[in-house]
This record gives sequence, structure tokens and C-alpha cells, in this order.
Amino acid sequence: MELRRNLQRFLSPFREFGLLAGALYAADRLLRPLSPGLGIYCYEFMVQPIGDKALLPPNLAKNLRFTEIGRGHPAVDAMPARAEIKSSRFDQGAICLGAYRKDTLIGYAWFCFKAYEEDEVRCTYELAEPERSVFDFDFYILPEHRMGIGFLAIWHGANEYLRARHIRYTFSRLTRFNLASRKAHAHLGWKRVGRAVFFQAWKLELMLADRAPFVFLSTPGGKRPRLRLTPEKLTAAAAWPSGDVR
Amino acid sequence: MIFTIRIAPVSTEGVNLHSEAEILAKFIREETGYSGPLDPEMDMLEAGILDSFTIVSLAMFAQEQFGVEFEGEEIVRENLAHLSSLVALVRKKQTSGGRAG
Repeated sequence: MELRRNLQRFLSPFREFGLLAGALYAADRLLRPLSPGLGIYCYEFMVQPIGDKALLPPNLAKNLRFTEIGRGHPAVDAMPARAEIKSSRFDQGAICLGAYRKDTLIGYAWFCFKAYEEDEVRCTYELAEPERSVFDFDFYILPEHRMGIGFLAIWHGANEYLRARHIRYTFSRLTRFNLASRKAHAHLGWKRVGRAVFFQAWKLELMLADRAPFVFLSTPGGKRPRLRLTPEKLTAAAAWPSGDVR
Repeated sequence: MIFTIRIAPVSTEGVNLHSEAEILAKFIREETGYSGPLDPEMDMLEAGILDSFTIVSLAMFAQEQFGVEFEGEEIVRENLAHLSSLVALVRKKQTSGGRAG
């Protein structure tokens, strides 16, 4: 019985993520307890269109408001990321857009224009069409608003905000194993545009990616790999069927 | 252009849909591809049938289908995770004349 349970547990990532990603997931789980300096990050790069239509009808959007949350705002202190991470986001020119219902913060999303310096691994994502695209990250819904209007409310406001700035696409980096996020965002029409895996071994970091520079070994303080993100997958699929995302 | 959430009413023609719950269940099945049992008391979020997107599409469909209008504050797990609670909300709105505009 115990053996069977252990076997099920061992096989479950392979069933969920497929052979390769499942193997990477299992390897990561084995490495992490050995040392905090060891780990595997398996990423997919996604592009999502910024549509012309409002996501929520007026009655549901009625009490929502969206505003930039600047450095030093108390809401920033309450965000779960480490202080130096949040500070480095502002340093690289990132915008944090907060979604409020009346005066209560529901959640927020961060956006970078032109490029985003990843904070989990050493890598910079460059946007091939910076005048028409942004990079979004740390999309966060406060727990009490999850499985309610939170997800669509934030995207409703984000779309409005980005549309006003003539942005047509937003890129993001998704952890391969985040199935819930993948499922929810799929409704918004996103497409995968690339993949990369980062192997961390203390100070060394090896990147394997499906685009130039393909393979890159980095050390702290040294050069970071730069991955260029293009929306062609989305524009190629632009013959979207009758305006319905499903 | 893209982000149209489909809220067209389910066609009930020729289908024996006696209650709001059955109409909503039909929508959920069509939207999610779920084909298992849909008990009115089942937590559809916990069961992984609905997600953070489809839960709001369901509410929008219910608005359209039953001629009611929800407040943003009502789009919460307690009202939407179970068919029974959503039906109760719809009925409450119908009796209190919850249709605005």
C-alpha cells in the first residue's frame, strides 16, 4: 500500500507535466532540500493580446478603480515580495497597477516597458516591439478575492490601462508547473512564444533556451543572457475566430 | 475584438430544463467540457470544474439568462462555487427586482 502510494507520488508530475517537464520537476524537488543554492527553473514565455473590449460589464466594474501604486506606498510594503526585489523593480522603471474595489485593494500586476530584468534567475527579457508591448509579472490577487472577481477585475483594469498607452500585447514568464495560472490565462487568449530552463548550482547558472543565445552560463556580477520576445505566434494566429476567446 | 466572454443564453428549445440549476449546469458543461455529475451542493471550485475566469463567466451568463444584475461584491466564492448558492442569489435578485438598467 505504502509502496503504491509512493509510486503514485513519483509518477504524478510525469502525468501532469509530461516526461521532460516531469523529470525536471522531480529533479528540482530532489535538489532543493540538499541546498538552497540548487534548483531548476522551468519557464515558458507567453504573449497575451490586449483586446479592445472591456472584460467586465459595467455593473460588475462599477466599484472598481485602477491606479498606479508608486514606490513608498503602504500597499507596496504589504506585498509579499522581498523589499530589495520591490525596490529593484522600481529601479528598472516597472509600473505597479493596483485594482481596488471601493478603497480595498483586490490585487495588482506589475509591468515593464522595453525589457524586464528577471529577479528569480539571471536573465533579461527584451521586447522586440517595445512601442506595442509590455512585460507583465507578479500578477497577484489577494487571497480573499481569489475565486471571485479578482482575476478578471485586475485584467479588466490592466487592459484598460495598457490600451490607453497603445499597447497591444503583454508578455509574461510562467513557471511550467503553474497549471492553475495557465488554465485561467488561457481564457484570455495567450500563446506560448518560448521556453527556457535555468539550472542553478550555487553561484553558477546555466540557461538553455529555445532562442538565442540558446545556452548561457552566468555568474554573479557577470553578463546576463538576453532573450528577445516577439509576438509573432499571436499575430500569426490573428485570424481569431469571431471574437470569442474559447 | 478578442475578449468577448460568451454569455449567449443557452438554447432551451427541445431540452427539458426545469430549473435554473439545470440551465446553469448545461452552461458549465458547455464551457468547461466537464461531463461528470453536477450536484447543486458540490463545490465546483474545489472540484476543479470552475476556475477564476469561468466563475465570472458563469455569473455573467446567469445575469443574462435570468435577467438579473449582480453587484461586483456579490461575485464571491460563497455565491458562485455551488449551483445551489448561485440559484439562491438569482432568485433573491429576481424577487427583489435586482435588474438595473
